[in-house]
Amino acid sequence: MQDSSTSGADPLISLTGVSKRFPNGTLALDNVDLSIPRGQLLSLIGLSGSGKSTLMRHLNGLHRPTSGVVNVMGVEVSSASNRQLRGVRKNIGFVFQQFGLVGRATCLENVLTGALGRLNGPRYGVWSYPKQLRSEAFDHLERVGLVNQAYQRADTLSGGQMQRVAIARSLMQQPQIMLADEPVASLDPESSAQVLDLLLKVAVEEQMTVIVTLHQVELALGWATRIVGLRDGRVVLDRDATTLKQEDAMEVYQRVDKSLDPDVSRQPDASGVTQRAVQVAP
Amino acid sequence: MSGAHVEPLTKNRAGRPRQPKNWRNPTLLAITIGFVVATAWSWNFIDMTLLTLFGGLSDLGNLLVYMFPPIFDNFPEALRATIETIWMALIGTTIAVVLSVPLAFLAARNTSPHPLVFAVARGVITLTRAVPTLVLAAVFSISLGIGPFPGIVALGLHSVGMIGKLFTEAIESTEFAPREAVLSTGAGKWQTILATIIPQIIPSCIGTALYRLDINLRESAVLGFVGAGGVGFLIQTELRGLDYQRAISAVSVIFITITLIELISTRLRASIIGDHLSTPTKQNARSLARVARDQRLIEAAISTRRLTPPWIYERILRVGTGLMFLSLLVVALFTIDMPIISAYKYGDDLVRSIGRLYPPDFTFARAELIQGMLETTAIGFTATLLGLVIAIPLGILSARNIILRRSVILLSRGVLLLIRGLPELIVAVLFVAAMGLGPVPGTLALTIGTATFMAKLIGDALEEVQEAPREGVSATGATRVQEFISAVLPQALPNLVSQTLYMLDVNLRSSTVLGIVGGGGIGFLLLGSIRVLDEATVGAIIITIFLLVYAIELLGTFVRWMVE
Ligand SMILES: Nc1ncnc2c1ncn2[C@@H]1O[C@H](COP(=O)(O)OP(=O)(O)OP(=O)(O)O)[C@@H](O)[C@H]1O
Ligand SMILES: [Mg+2]
Repeated sequence: MQDSSTSGADPLISLTGVSKRFPNGTLALDNVDLSIPRGQLLSLIGLSGSGKSTLMRHLNGLHRPTSGVVNVMGVEVSSASNRQLRGVRKNIGFVFQQFGLVGRATCLENVLTGALGRLNGPRYGVWSYPKQLRSEAFDHLERVGLVNQAYQRADTLSGGQMQRVAIARSLMQQPQIMLADEPVASLDPESSAQVLDLLLKVAVEEQMTVIVTLHQVELALGWATRIVGLRDGRVVLDRDATTLKQEDAMEVYQRVDKSLDPDVSRQPDASGVTQRAVQVAP
Repeated sequence: MSGAHVEPLTKNRAGRPRQPKNWRNPTLLAITIGFVVATAWSWNFIDMTLLTLFGGLSDLGNLLVYMFPPIFDNFPEALRATIETIWMALIGTTIAVVLSVPLAFLAARNTSPHPLVFAVARGVITLTRAVPTLVLAAVFSISLGIGPFPGIVALGLHSVGMIGKLFTEAIESTEFAPREAVLSTGAGKWQTILATIIPQIIPSCIGTALYRLDINLRESAVLGFVGAGGVGFLIQTELRGLDYQRAISAVSVIFITITLIELISTRLRASIIGDHLSTPTKQNARSLARVARDQRLIEAAISTRRLTPPWIYERILRVGTGLMFLSLLVVALFTIDMPIISAYKYGDDLVRSIGRLYPPDFTFARAELIQGMLETTAIGFTATLLGLVIAIPLGILSARNIILRRSVILLSRGVLLLIRGLPELIVAVLFVAAMGLGPVPGTLALTIGTATFMAKLIGDALEEVQEAPREGVSATGATRVQEFISAVLPQALPNLVSQTLYMLDVNLRSSTVLGIVGGGGIGFLLLGSIRVLDEATVGAIIITIFLLVYAIELLGTFVRWMVE
């Protein structure tokens, strides 16, 4: 369980003793230690409610830990100022299960919002972005295969197309890290494969460090170089993906004996936890 | 004030009002009994009898006789005053929108920077709503002088109450996911708000603004009664001079204008709020050609990698409407001759004139204050009941599934629509001209507004009730009347009760200003105190009106909460 591919003197991302207790008392992360070197393709697995989304949200400061230290690219995210936080977020692409597109805006506008971190002052509408950025946005839409939809409203797209626009928006950031929280959970199998392939392809091309949470273990085993399993906010599995058998991975999903688990509400449920309102650091 | 045309703010604007509990519910029963008792007292208080009622009607008949034939030689003057009325409404609404946008962001739960700021912003929005436009205009005209300027300021401030509230609700109903996603790209807080919240709220905000423009047009038509510009002054002067034939022509000019603008703005609202302009609902040749053209433009833009959005229909419409609005606003500002440059001086005056209302003096007119408040309340209740009594038959006549003759329906709907075009206070000033000062003409004016509004609601509600129970009853061989009473009425009743309560709320608010045109209630005292520049008493009256309106609002919220 402890042998892992964590190595390298200077990890890109490191969590040390990170715990998170929400105001309502839920302990979502319980003393998590994790260190991720540059270029790793990591897949995070675990039951619903095991803390995967919470962990991801700690990496870009959407959540702050109750205790412990989160360090990303040399910045202590756990105690960063707003300014520092923006600096870190610029380098992290975040793909959400619910896409997070502005439905009434065109795809091009949605992609352009990925450049806001590079710009000063508020922007509204395509014309308010520099020409060179617009051209860049077109390139990214081309890359995800949706250039023909550039001037179409985002809410007219299919789910798979929406997620690809969201990926294009992340590419607009030119990020070094890509986080994807159940990016294919609301898609049909065919679009799922398409979106995951795309995500991997661009990640490899750009030499990004990738963390993806997935529900399907086979998918995770297929492409990740490292698998980390969470249960009740604790890391219960951390292995090189090539040496991991599916049965071992499935163990993460075995529910602990009920008598040991006082919180019966932690059952896999269909509704994504990500939809819940979350606190956001300003 | 033509409050009868205000939609219930709490009603879900997208859908129909929620169906409250069964009509046998004890709460509903208690409310109904309370309403009846209060109305009986009110009826008594303003000395309303059936005799006065019918006497009033014959007075009205006489007035109508005096008004015919109308003399239209004042047409240029009436037109000029009407155009001024439109410009006032336009500028006032714009001011309110400009003030409301930042206020709404401070007052929305999901964007407010601090609980304290949140509370203050909410307070400001509620406060502006609680003092009627006409009262504000009367107070401002003390310091800003006679003319459209105090009227515009009053419109601008009072409208913040409704516009700010609806904007706030729009912001609070935006999706959170896009905001979180854009924040995660490293965008700043304001960058994120502009990129994600604004596009989501724009259509509903435009709808709100247009809707308020309609209301403000009616409001500004009567601002002249306190010397604050617009066509009201002309109407009042002609009525004072007993020049009824000219008064009716001025009234008809403003009436036609209001009706036309309402038609235009309704269509505009529908086309702007409509969700997918690019996929029109009507499949006629024109719309198909439009879609094809849009498609070609988009394809061309993409194949040439044009970096600016193509001029598709939706964009043309949106930009065109925006430009039209801006040019109208510029024309308005030049025509009205707003003293923008010396605004700071007037701003100073404004603050001082409000300052002079303090400390309020309740002692000078204590007896009249109490009497005025009671009378205001009594007018509100009586008008609501009378309006309801008239509305029920009118509404039934206009319901398609009950009256089967098309001509009757068209006629009754048309009459309702026409009457609704007249601001209540104009109706009130006509009635006062016919019957003399006092609460009765005021009550009747509110009655008419209530009756037309409720009749439309009743007609719609009756058309909505399900058919099944009716068929069941008529199969037993019941007559049409029996069938109606036993099957249709109980279904529509709960809705009727909550709409009546809403109407009561509107009427109580409206009756605070009726006195300004001599229609009874506390407004009369207000105008008197303004005339003699007794500012301490004016302050006391405004506080009283504010408390009354606020109490009504609290009561309304409580009752709705009980019912739903
Ligand atoms: N904002 C919040 N406030 C309170 N509790 C929260 C909040 N967000 C998450 N939780 C709780 O923290 C725990 C971990 O949630 P998290 O969303 O990280 O799980 P997850 O592994 O992503 O689950 P899923 O697979 O369903 O997305 C859950 O018990 C959840 O109820
Ligand atoms: Mg999750």
